[in-house]
Amino acid sequence: MSSGQSTDVIENPGRPSGVPCRFWRGFGRVGGLAQGLVVPAALLIAWGFSANLGWLPEQILPPPSEVFGALRETMNDGTLLSSTLTSLRRVAEGFLAGAVLGLAFGFVTGASRLAESLVAPLFLTLSQVPTLGWIPILILFVGIDESLKVLIIGWAAFIPVALNTTQGVRDVPRAFLELGRVLSLSRWSTLRSIILPSAVPSIFTGLREGLANSWQTLVVVELIASFEGLGYLMAYGRQLFQLELVLAAMIVVGLIGLSINLLLSLIESHLQRWNPGRQS
Amino acid sequence: MTSSVMGASGASTRAPVRSRFTPASLTPRLRPVIVPILGLALWEIAARTGLADPRFLPTLEAIAVRGVKEFSENGVTSDLAASLARDLLGFVAGASIGVALGLALGFSRLLERLLSPLLLAHRQIALFAWVPLISMWFGGGEAGKVVFIALAAFQPALTNTWQGVAGIPKIYRELSRVLTFSGWDFAVVIALPGALPGIFTGLHAALIYAWTATVGAELLLDIAPGIGGRMNEGQHLFHIDLLFLCVFLLGLLGVAFNLFAGALERRLMSWRHS
Amino acid sequence: MKILHLAALAVGLTLAAPASAETLIRIGYPGTGLDDRPYGYSDYPAVAHVQKLVEAEFADQPDIKVTWTFFRGAGPALNESLAAGQLDFAAGLGDLPSIVGRSRGLDTKFLAAAGTHDALYLAVPPNSPIASIDELKGHKVAQFRGTNLQIATDRVLEAHNLTEKDIRFVSLDSNAATAALVSGAVEASFGGAEYIDLAKRGVIKIIYSTKNDDPTLGRNEGLFVTGAFEKAHPDYTAKVVHAFVKAARFASDEANRDAVFEIWAKSGLPAESFAADFKDERLAHRVTPVIDAFIINRYKDQANRAKAYGLLKKDVDIDSWFETKYLQQALVDLKLEHFWPTYDVDGKLFTHGDVENTKAASN
Repeated sequence: MSSGQSTDVIENPGRPSGVPCRFWRGFGRVGGLAQGLVVPAALLIAWGFSANLGWLPEQILPPPSEVFGALRETMNDGTLLSSTLTSLRRVAEGFLAGAVLGLAFGFVTGASRLAESLVAPLFLTLSQVPTLGWIPILILFVGIDESLKVLIIGWAAFIPVALNTTQGVRDVPRAFLELGRVLSLSRWSTLRSIILPSAVPSIFTGLREGLANSWQTLVVVELIASFEGLGYLMAYGRQLFQLELVLAAMIVVGLIGLSINLLLSLIESHLQRWNPGRQS
Repeated sequence: MTSSVMGASGASTRAPVRSRFTPASLTPRLRPVIVPILGLALWEIAARTGLADPRFLPTLEAIAVRGVKEFSENGVTSDLAASLARDLLGFVAGASIGVALGLALGFSRLLERLLSPLLLAHRQIALFAWVPLISMWFGGGEAGKVVFIALAAFQPALTNTWQGVAGIPKIYRELSRVLTFSGWDFAVVIALPGALPGIFTGLHAALIYAWTATVGAELLLDIAPGIGGRMNEGQHLFHIDLLFLCVFLLGLLGVAFNLFAGALERRLMSWRHS
Repeated sequence: MKILHLAALAVGLTLAAPASAETLIRIGYPGTGLDDRPYGYSDYPAVAHVQKLVEAEFADQPDIKVTWTFFRGAGPALNESLAAGQLDFAAGLGDLPSIVGRSRGLDTKFLAAAGTHDALYLAVPPNSPIASIDELKGHKVAQFRGTNLQIATDRVLEAHNLTEKDIRFVSLDSNAATAALVSGAVEASFGGAEYIDLAKRGVIKIIYSTKNDDPTLGRNEGLFVTGAFEKAHPDYTAKVVHAFVKAARFASDEANRDAVFEIWAKSGLPAESFAADFKDERLAHRVTPVIDAFIINRYKDQANRAKAYGLLKKDVDIDSWFETKYLQQALVDLKLEHFWPTYDVDGKLFTHGDVENTKAASN
């Protein structure tokens, strides 16, 4: 990231992370961190105060203590763990299915123009329908069991994986393919040493988006019809007007989202290190 | 570049004056529709011969008939209009706040340092996780739905605008300092135009997200006129033809949104390069 | 930044209450008819709605507008609307959601009862192997969470030594639950009169009902006003209660039995369903606005049980909830002080009422 920028009086809008502005420079890195924490801390304090002083009616915002209480309770009776595991399992199953199929689809349509011209237009049209628009039809077809969740989450993952894989395979520079032909590489070797490395950044983008979509779709489908899971907890909290349960479940959803993003960033930077010439 | 090998070679072996619609050059044109047409044909056959349970797979004719009925009698047009109205309202509200905040964050290092952890945290929470909270704060009526749609549009608008501003090359900033531009001039003459691609990407994404949120809000919140309401009706009453019709309409609108946003973006890009 | 201004204006217009000169009286009803049509059933607020009795009270005041909102999400969705300040009256709100709302600080006043002894039905697909409540263990069952169905179900389960944890409950609104039951997506469903017609047509089977069982197993509903509205417009509140008591009088008179079923049939459920639901039961057994010792005890009991089942987090003060002066006034004005019978804490008849002498036309 850009460092060592000039620190003049004019606000210097550089890349998001960089040298802290003048006021905090004295505190150095700690100052930067402190700046980041100021607003969340202030909000948290304000929340605690207003709840305890009764400024906010509790149906708008229960005190933080109640939210932590809800977290503690659901952790103690095992509901939180089982709900989280159920939700994660569903995402894993759906994402895996969708990603594998998407990769296969993407490779075939990326490599073969014939296949692409045959299948791509239909696929593109179908993908214009918002994923959750398929849920009512799917409910009538397969009910509200696990198969509903896996199918819809799989579809949500399939779309970006397929699109990006097609792109990645298609965009392998001709020169590389020529080289492969010149070196008389077998099909398999071409795939392994030329196509794959070149396509990996795109494929990874697709996988990343697919996972994000899967997670989002999981929440919707669990809100609409479920017996268990984090979305179910939120829906339950809503039905029984237990806002603290809703907030507790949202916190867990946020933490999981964060973990997924961190994990993916880690993998992505690892991949980029190995493929230095590439701009993602 | 995308013309197939077949067409190219086919053309080269014929007299150049020949009409364009030779069989060889027709096939690549037909290819995109072969699979859909085959699929539709199979569907119709299966539905008519009873191979597929008519309760689950109505004939295409039944869907078309339902479509005509909905448009002429049952007022699906007003449902579509209601959904679009909500969508537009939420989109405008959310996207404008997102763009404004994105610009502010891009320009002010202080603001960015203060707010980015909060906004980052907000980004981690899956969009639909907000539904129960929003319905408890704003009710499940129009207000709640519009707020949710605005929230959906806000996130991509903010992120892309912010990146757009951050991506303005340092060189332009130094140039503006050399030319002694005021902050305002810098913003209007250099920064905004420079950030516009990012802003438009954000608006495009926000449009798509807002539409998804509209359908979702109608499925999850109170009953009201709208395409989501019709889907609920179709699901509860087992009217599969209505459901397929709704999916078809959703797809149409999705395509329309993408085309519209894409065309705007291209217009902008061509203006930039001129 | 014109867009920003426009957006702010648009959002403000949407969210702000209408700033026109008229006063709105916003009534909410927790439920919808078949395919979500805006009609209720099985109580007197539904009758008041169809007969436009509340609107009639304000016919000579053109700047007052009465609106009715029917909530697909039943009690919980109505609570959300109350919390957001979008409603003034809740007509027919079930016992559990009203108690939950009060425990979360919703400021409402309990004006009159809107129904009691409402039956709970357990329905299964026609060829289901499940034959009784005891066999529900481990199965997928639909139940609209947060509504008075939930507390009634919990009580029934308790009577059979089961708890919610023994069953895989999914929360579905009544139309979605019916669809899920019919298509086999769930193996059983707890609901109300909407299942009777389906059972008659053989689409589902009803294997249990609280009808004619322990009177404390029934569901209850009430008529509520927000504290804010009552303080600002006690006169309007009185008129609204007056209208509802009129509706109650009509709907509990046996002579009107068939007419009442026809009115409820506007919800899409056939009149025969209600005839079956009320078989061997007088209308007044369920339709009564009077708050007597039985009703007060029912609500206290429900509150305690809700807390025991984990549905409530705090204790709720029931006694201070009731504001019956409007009801008493309406009864006096309409000369109905002795129309309805009252019951003691155990559900036994305490005082007689004139309505017991009314007869159905066919009798």
